[in-house]
Amino acid sequence: MITNKLFKTISFIEIIKGLGVTLRTLLFSPPVTRRYPVKVRVLSKPGFRGLHALAKDEEGKMKCVGCGLCGAYCPSQCIHIYTTEGEDNSKIVERYEIDTARCIYCGFCVEACPFGAITLSEHYEYSTYSKADLYMTKEKLLENWGKYFPGDKGRQYFRDFWHPLSEDFHGHEGQAMFSKIKMKGKE
Amino acid sequence: MNNILETFLGPGSFDVIVDILKIILKIVAVLTGALLHIAYATYFERKVIAGMQLRLGPREVGPYGLFQPFADGIKLFFKEDIIPAQADKPIFYLSPVIFYVAAITSFAVLPFFDGFVVADINIGLLFLFAMSSLAAYGIVMSGWSSDSKYAFLGGLRSASQVISYEIAMGLSLVGVMIMAGSLNLSDIVKAQHEYPLGIFAVPQFLGFVVFVIAAFAETNRLPFDLPEAESELVAGYFTEYSGFRFALFFLGEYAGMLVMSSISALCFLGGWTIPMFITDALPFLLYVPGIVWFLMKVYAFMFLYYWIRATLPRYRYDQLMGIGWKILIPLALVNIVITATVKMWIMGLL
Repeated sequence: MITNKLFKTISFIEIIKGLGVTLRTLLFSPPVTRRYPVKVRVLSKPGFRGLHALAKDEEGKMKCVGCGLCGAYCPSQCIHIYTTEGEDNSKIVERYEIDTARCIYCGFCVEACPFGAITLSEHYEYSTYSKADLYMTKEKLLENWGKYFPGDKGRQYFRDFWHPLSEDFHGHEGQAMFSKIKMKGKE
Repeated sequence: MNNILETFLGPGSFDVIVDILKIILKIVAVLTGALLHIAYATYFERKVIAGMQLRLGPREVGPYGLFQPFADGIKLFFKEDIIPAQADKPIFYLSPVIFYVAAITSFAVLPFFDGFVVADINIGLLFLFAMSSLAAYGIVMSGWSSDSKYAFLGGLRSASQVISYEIAMGLSLVGVMIMAGSLNLSDIVKAQHEYPLGIFAVPQFLGFVVFVIAAFAETNRLPFDLPEAESELVAGYFTEYSGFRFALFFLGEYAGMLVMSSISALCFLGGWTIPMFITDALPFLLYVPGIVWFLMKVYAFMFLYYWIRATLPRYRYDQLMGIGWKILIPLALVNIVITATVKMWIMGLL
């Protein structure tokens, strides 16, 4: 044992084996670096939580009714909702703002919304040079819906990932329900 | 022209002026070459270590990233010069200068090929030892004058490491001196050429190994780089330096690496010559200029520096000092005794 250890120390055999590994890596292994802006990685996981978007229904009207559940549930308190009273005493959403710099992209707002109005798209490459561009207003969010959820993608989002709770509400005969939602089995 | 000079400056002054001009041209050539080598040593270190770690080195600046050293230099030049409030200012300013000057001056006595030395002095090797000892002054002064714990500890550790391994380095080169019979570096290379095997690394194998290990410790490179280990001491003795002063330390370290590679190429690997048994077999190699062989050997040794940095972990400080004093010095002394005995026996004195 002693002579074995002495032999290893004198002949540097372990150091030389290590040097061999490094040299082999240098000469024969290609680098594993991905050159990002040139070679973008296609998102392999659908349902990735990226930039926010406010959903529109088939007629093109905003689904959000201004209930404020998303703002109440948000852990970072980054959703700010301001509503006013419109004609015939309906609630209109005047300002709906999300501070994406504070957002932690947890998806609790999507989970909380009964109507499936707030969504998180798969878009993530929106770095800018000014912080003001990261503060999403209602107009920008509605625009995002058209940009990042074209066509069937929106329906697929609600079918595969975040089923809005309001579609499962059904009460018994004569029970008062939200006036704006369509109920299963009742019209 | 000749007569005018002679009336003003004394007889023979034209030759003196021509000599001075020749030396100035040599200095310019050596300095340019040395500075470019130091700059590109940093670039190649990054590329080689990146290749060994499965990644790419610098690629953006210039084709294949070749202008990276200049980009680094320009960046460091424009950085803010921060000095700690309680630092000892004259010494703080002076220490990177001492370190860098000691490293660069060593290039003056290195013969790059036959007949080309800036200063052909008979104590070339001793001059190189002296310059590396002066670099230790720069380290101690920088550690002490920055008024900071990390710099202080790093400076002390580095200074003690450097002076311990200097002894081993000097003793390992004594064997070469005995075999060559002179301290003049050109004479050492010529003595190697006349030796049947062509290089001193084979008979002086023990000396070569001791020298390589001591060279790694002298230049504070892995596996002996505890004084500048990033995880232990922020940056060791040059923690408080920023901007161009930091660049001076950094360049001085690479200059030291190049000087050590040159010493090993000259004293152990045959300098600008290749062994005679190879030229006898392949005579066309005689047409290759000597500087090509010298540079190949220096580059091989620099590659060894980078290769070992990418492979080995670093020694703990007490292990480091133990190796220097308890292993390398006795081995170097044994080498000297054996070399001297063999030489005396060959010379018939034993």
